[in-house]
Amino acid sequence: MSLVGKKCESITLLEQSRNEICTKVTPEDVLKLDKITETYLCSPEANVYDIDFTRFKIRDLETGTILFEIAKPPTDFGVENDGAEDGLEEPLDPNAGRFVRYQFTPQFLKLRTVGATVEFTVGARPVNHFRMIEKHFFRDTLLKTFDFEFGFCIPFSRNTCEHIYEFPSLPTDLVEEMIAAPFETCSDSFYFVDNNLVMHNKADYAYNGGINN
Amino acid sequence: MGFLTILKKLRQKEKEMRILMLGLDNAGKTTILKRFNGEPIDTISPTLGFNIKTLEHKGYKLNIWDVGGQKSLRSYWKNYFESTDGVAWVVDSADPRRLADCARELHALLREERLAGATLLVLANKADLPGALTLQEIREALDLDSIKSHHWRIVRCSAVTGENLLEGMDWMLDDIASRIFTLD
Repeated sequence: MSLVGKKCESITLLEQSRNEICTKVTPEDVLKLDKITETYLCSPEANVYDIDFTRFKIRDLETGTILFEIAKPPTDFGVENDGAEDGLEEPLDPNAGRFVRYQFTPQFLKLRTVGATVEFTVGARPVNHFRMIEKHFFRDTLLKTFDFEFGFCIPFSRNTCEHIYEFPSLPTDLVEEMIAAPFETCSDSFYFVDNNLVMHNKADYAYNGGINN
Repeated sequence: MGFLTILKKLRQKEKEMRILMLGLDNAGKTTILKRFNGEPIDTISPTLGFNIKTLEHKGYKLNIWDVGGQKSLRSYWKNYFESTDGVAWVVDSADPRRLADCARELHALLREERLAGATLLVLANKADLPGALTLQEIREALDLDSIKSHHWRIVRCSAVTGENLLEGMDWMLDDIASRIFTLD
């Protein structure tokens, strides 16, 4: 189980004992992180509530334009159709679906008000105190932290959440650096249920779209 | 300094409010929420869970929760009562057959202890439809005048035309603000 071995190395990141890591990453731990994590701080199996992100969308409130949208195709009757992938012999990447890569144009960094929507479904178990902590970094500079409690989620529900926010105004030289350094802007999204880490997703971002390299 | 004063001061810092949108299914809760936030309203399907919007409006940080109104979901509403400052109760003005059901659910809600302090805004939606009941008829059918426990107001509105959505919401926010935020 090299996966577990790798995961447990992230202990050093949180300065916790090796035995504790897989169950004991707290919201306070991740709020304290001052850079992007090198590994995922929980295994895909930690998601015992079958929380599934089915849509991400970003829109510009000033023009109403949808800047980015990615959605999972709906599965019939809300059941995962395992048979659908028969014939595709690709090995299953346990981290597939935990990582998203965004490519934007430099214009994106000039936006004022954006709405970021996530849609997710939950499984048969009710989810209590569902909380998201998301941290955005450029290299080792923290750009923004989201900390939001969804609270309770109804079994078998489909839910959406849109955060409409003023884009942080960044210094011009930082913006130029971010454009010049694609995918060095990164984010960690941590999801907790009852203070237990159940999901950890990552994303990275480029803002040089449309520029001839 | 009393407990209430401390609470008021804590909340004043962020000027944060939690609004809960409830009502029977097909009343138009999600459509109102989308309209209020400038989103297209042409493809809205029944809410089988919740829709949350967090936004800044009039200097307040609003967390609006729209929870599905189907009968099977109503028993879960109680999970969303905690810390609610305002309830927007959405009514389909053009569905007189379900008004009795609507009145029963509303009055059950108002008996909830955790909503005791909340401001109530009744949004008489779909007022633009032919056959929509008048505001007075809805007020009577919902027996609103018997409500002494909450600050309340009813407005006729339409998620499609946008009529009165902002006015209604602004009344609720001002009413909440006058209760929970201390004046400088």
